[in-house]
Amino acid sequence: MFGRPLFRWVLRITIVCVVLAVGLWTIWPWLPSQKDRRPRTIVLYGFSILEPVITKGIFPAFQKRWFEQTGQRVELISSFGGSGTVTNQLIMGVPAEVAILSTELDAQRLQKAGVVHGETWKKLPHKGVMNRTPFIIQVRPGNPKRIHDFSGLTQPGVRVVHMDPLTSGAANWAIVAEYGAAVRQQGSGPDAGRAMLLGIWRNVAVQAGSGRAARTQFDSGFGDALITYEQDAIWSRSRGSSRFEIVYPRSTILSEHTVVVIDERVSERQKELVGAFVDFLWSEEAQRIFVRSGFRSVDERLNSLNPQFGHIRDPFFIDDFGGWRKAKLTIIDDTWKNRVLKELKP
Amino acid sequence: MNQGKAFYKKISHMLPAGFLVLVLLPLLLLPLASVFIYALRGGLGNLGAALTTTDVLFALRFSLIIAFATAVINTVLGTYAAWVLSKTRFPGREQLGIILNLPVAIPNVVVGTSLLLLWGPIGLFGQVLEPLGIQPMFTPVGVLLAHVFVTFPYMLGTIKPVLDDLETTYEEAAYTMGASRWQTFLHVLFPALKGGLLTGALLTFAHSLGEFGATVMVSGNLRLRTQTAPLYIFSQFESGNIQAANSVAAVLAILSFALFSLILFLAARTGKKGAQRGK
Repeated sequence: MFGRPLFRWVLRITIVCVVLAVGLWTIWPWLPSQKDRRPRTIVLYGFSILEPVITKGIFPAFQKRWFEQTGQRVELISSFGGSGTVTNQLIMGVPAEVAILSTELDAQRLQKAGVVHGETWKKLPHKGVMNRTPFIIQVRPGNPKRIHDFSGLTQPGVRVVHMDPLTSGAANWAIVAEYGAAVRQQGSGPDAGRAMLLGIWRNVAVQAGSGRAARTQFDSGFGDALITYEQDAIWSRSRGSSRFEIVYPRSTILSEHTVVVIDERVSERQKELVGAFVDFLWSEEAQRIFVRSGFRSVDERLNSLNPQFGHIRDPFFIDDFGGWRKAKLTIIDDTWKNRVLKELKP
Repeated sequence: MNQGKAFYKKISHMLPAGFLVLVLLPLLLLPLASVFIYALRGGLGNLGAALTTTDVLFALRFSLIIAFATAVINTVLGTYAAWVLSKTRFPGREQLGIILNLPVAIPNVVVGTSLLLLWGPIGLFGQVLEPLGIQPMFTPVGVLLAHVFVTFPYMLGTIKPVLDDLETTYEEAAYTMGASRWQTFLHVLFPALKGGLLTGALLTFAHSLGEFGATVMVSGNLRLRTQTAPLYIFSQFESGNIQAANSVAAVLAILSFALFSLILFLAARTGKKGAQRGK
């Protein structure tokens, strides 16, 4: 029936060989000969924009230091996503030992859900704040819509890419930044803040799940302006993307990123390693790496090392609004969610 | 004249085919092509570098292992289910058949959430298991569980029609000759099923390799621990590393192409054999 039995045999043998080769390659790292020294691990969940700096900067530096100190190899098991998403995953019970969240708000949610007992992050250096970055506006080259401050985003016809406050910590920071910038103008009160939010949110054209996702959308051509972390813009520029300009608002907030150790998930054996890693985050070496990747250090002296940091005339912090617990109630819930969003819905 | 007729016939066959290709071009072919174009944008060297990072190597290996394990488990489970549904008679048989085929219709994300709600730390079983230190979710076991669930119907769907078509006279002959059920299966049913088993296993393997919705829910998306190749693609794409994402996407596309070619080839062959036997 088949005129070419030789060909069929060759084909069959080739398929078998390919399958065997792929199989062997697949199980290679788990073969007994490779297994002799499996590294120790740290499981970290972090918010989206941390991925490059942690996996390519901070962790390799820690890896090196730990190896020099103990001779042990350590590997990072990590996952990155919107801060809210990460928090939800932690509440669902993912095996994280350390979490780095973009806002203390999410840390408070962890406490409420019983993932951590008490405000344990406050016992870490700088009350758990690992680094900061101000919120800025990114516009298209040449700033065609003439946006020079948050108020510029309220002009009709400006399409704003915003993050989704449900899943993104950055979105919560951005809302407080927008509100705060208006309230801090001389002689204005909470009404100015609400008007600002209303004006900007009327123009929100796309909502993204995380800071990183919003950046990807803006880069793919959506919208006229993106409200995001300064770090994210600097990082994006360092990767050769020059299709945008950074606008520094007159007043804006500096986000503070919180480290939370999930004590319950850190076994006795892991305590020393996880502790060393967390301490390392505030070491000068690590803080310098953060500054080089566009984050502002908690150590002000180091911030002059990065010439790309822009000047902000009136920087403010969440503590200026009474901390996250209060800001969440008055700004996010009462003003944005209950009033602005309702007014926008027809 | 005759030649003209032949030409006309040729054209009349090529037109619909050409139309099909034209319709599929933007739907299927061009998107696939752009994966390769993006993957190769930085040159072969960059593609190689993107494919040999620790994360990618782990993700690809992990995906292959999970797919293999899923295929093995579902070959056994699916064949057993097909045998039960086809060769035994009991009340509720049809309903059971529908339920067993449900995973095809349920969105994979729902499968993922339902698994979490059962086995996760806050789930029904999970709450009991957690204090015992057993936590299948967010581990490779959880991923395997999800893949077995999602790909279960493929084996069943491949084997059951073959069993249904197989005339019972052969089995009855075997029984009358004193063969046990197991012997009958091994010597009468299995040889007839061989082609179907391989096709079904490959189909399961291929679907497991590409599974995303359920995996993203139950894995926790941990690099170097539970991140499969499709999850890696998604994470990298979301991080704006389009080239890294596309490099892996290209590898998966090639693997799937090879797998489905093999499946079609096998299916055609078993079909031919069946036809021969029929004569």
